[in-house]
Amino acid sequence: MNHKFSRRKFLRNSLLGTGAMTLGFPALNVNAQEHNIRVGVVTSLSGANRFGGNLTRRGYDLWAEEINKLGGIEIEGKRYPVEMFYGDAQSRPASGADAAERLIIQDEVDVLFGPYTSGVTLAVQPISQKYRVPMISGSAESPNVWLAKPAFNFGMIPAVDLTTDKSMVVLAENLGDRATTASVIGVDEPFSKETAEGFRKGVEESGLELLSYELFPAGSDLSAIISKLKSSNPDIVAVGGHEDIFINFVSTAKALNYKPKALIMHYGVTSAAFIKETGTESNGILGVSVWTEGLPYKDELFGTASDYSELSFSRWGTRPDYTEAACSASGLVLQDAARRLGKAPPWDQGTRAELAKAIEDTDIETFYGPVGFAKEGSHYHNNTKPVPAVVQIKSGDIVPVAPENASKGELVYPIPGTS
Amino acid sequence: MDLFLQTLVNGILIGGILICLTIGFQLTFGVLHVIDFAVGGWTMLGGYTAYWLVTLAGIDPFISIFLVFALFLLIGRGLGPLIYHVRTSRYARPDLMALAFTFGIFLFMRGGALWLWSYNSRSVDSVLSGQFLSLGPVTIPLMRLSAFILAMMFSLGLFILLYRSRFGMAVRALAQNHDHAGLMGVDVKRVSAWVYGIYTALTASAGVLIATIYSVNPSVGIRYTLFAFFVAVLAGLGSVGGVLVAGLALGLLEAYVATYIGARYSLLIVFGTLYLVLLVAPKGVLGRGI
Repeated sequence: MNHKFSRRKFLRNSLLGTGAMTLGFPALNVNAQEHNIRVGVVTSLSGANRFGGNLTRRGYDLWAEEINKLGGIEIEGKRYPVEMFYGDAQSRPASGADAAERLIIQDEVDVLFGPYTSGVTLAVQPISQKYRVPMISGSAESPNVWLAKPAFNFGMIPAVDLTTDKSMVVLAENLGDRATTASVIGVDEPFSKETAEGFRKGVEESGLELLSYELFPAGSDLSAIISKLKSSNPDIVAVGGHEDIFINFVSTAKALNYKPKALIMHYGVTSAAFIKETGTESNGILGVSVWTEGLPYKDELFGTASDYSELSFSRWGTRPDYTEAACSASGLVLQDAARRLGKAPPWDQGTRAELAKAIEDTDIETFYGPVGFAKEGSHYHNNTKPVPAVVQIKSGDIVPVAPENASKGELVYPIPGTS
Repeated sequence: MDLFLQTLVNGILIGGILICLTIGFQLTFGVLHVIDFAVGGWTMLGGYTAYWLVTLAGIDPFISIFLVFALFLLIGRGLGPLIYHVRTSRYARPDLMALAFTFGIFLFMRGGALWLWSYNSRSVDSVLSGQFLSLGPVTIPLMRLSAFILAMMFSLGLFILLYRSRFGMAVRALAQNHDHAGLMGVDVKRVSAWVYGIYTALTASAGVLIATIYSVNPSVGIRYTLFAFFVAVLAGLGSVGGVLVAGLALGLLEAYVATYIGARYSLLIVFGTLYLVLLVAPKGVLGRGI
């Protein structure tokens, strides 16, 4: 057989082949990826807030691992595995915004899980809005995040002004006529000030008499403030701040022979660092937590709050706090919204906007508690449903003591050895 | 009245720590003519070293303070020639170069602390933690009282060294005039290096005392740099004696403002006072001026 080489035939076949490859590969590519939901995580994996940042990562990762064990998120009867991508905010808002942009453009994520701190969240928020990528923030407690009315961002933890005032009301109700007066102090910086103002609002709402309200700069010598508290001796002392100021308060009060009858603080009291640094002095101190393992909540993926705690402990070696829990619950919100959306990934801009709407309509019960986002007002898109529990440290353990339905132990008042 | 007396005690005890923090800073300025912006960094590192010694070796901070003193004496002695070199180099403004150099050291220490210990605050417990003396309505924390006594001991030791030893005589000669001291046979470089060593040792020791009373984290350095600078200016830059008066004055001022006006305003009023002092008495209470 004589095969004559035809240049025209060769060119035609080559062109057809190349065309088929060009048209066919994306199709193959889409087929290969259509079963994955690409989730970008922007958080502080390095820098000053890396400890908390890594807590958020643990929470998000634990959900991804658990849902992938089932084959992924179920949409219209089919499972789509979750693929996680990470962007390090380096504890800086500007770096967080850059990381978010990289995740959206380069990694083509379908949805974002939000940063650890409110500052970084505020910087990432406009990026998620610009590219219409829904973001579920498992951390960030500043009310300022929600004042901006972010269309695409949703927060799992109620803003600190909501939790502290509710917790003070819960505490006052449980103490009844045993407590009539309160003093509030706090560090004069955004988060701590908002915490202190929440406590003050709670004091007013609960009918307690506010003896004093004082803000002070970070790093202040607390001896003057504690001497004044000792002199007026209120029934409840509330402190707005972070772990370092709580540790300073406890050690300075101890040095000046002062122990308030009830001492309530916020985030930080439940951290292992606070309990370790204050030792036995932490006994009896009250804190606010939107979640603990003792709460009577459950869902299908994680089981009860206690089951979640066990799972997290076996995976990471430490007990989860409410930040970690809220981050895991962010995944539950996503899978519920994706199920209701009923559209297979990848999601284009229009579909992502529909997904944001589906997230906005969330109304579910989880191991973390009820989740539902405010659709208007100053806490727009913030999950305002959880009722904060008042917890008390007892021999190093964090025990929910109020409200009654969440209580796992007796509220000790006054703390033994008080002034 | 009870609160007034308690505030008096609080102010005096804090003043003692500020004296220990600033006295070495003054010495460095007086001899090397360097305003050392690393002062808060040395304080922070002293506190962290005490934390390490307590947690790793179980050494009480009131013992470890002497180890910290010795360790930082050597570190400062090692770094001293470099500071001296920058200060006496042929830059157009060697004083500004030295200032920038020490600020660079401070930033390096702060960055290193963040890398090593993250932002978490560390406090140091002692056998005296939580113990106090009750004198009528006034409570005197034994930890703060001991810290005050130690600070006074260090200050007294420095005075004895300066005014009762040949080394002290050489230091005083350097404070007068480097060239003349050199001509009289003083090894200027060596003495300057030891002065920097003594300064770092005193400042790090103050850090141990601070860690026993408050807590340390990488950001405390800025606060103590500001306080050291305030006390030094109020005392009169270079005046070691003025530090005693200025340190106590600052301690009392901050305590009374925080108690009777509000802690929120204490830094505002404290630094307002600084500007007032600079306007009315630019040489400070006992100093030679900037």
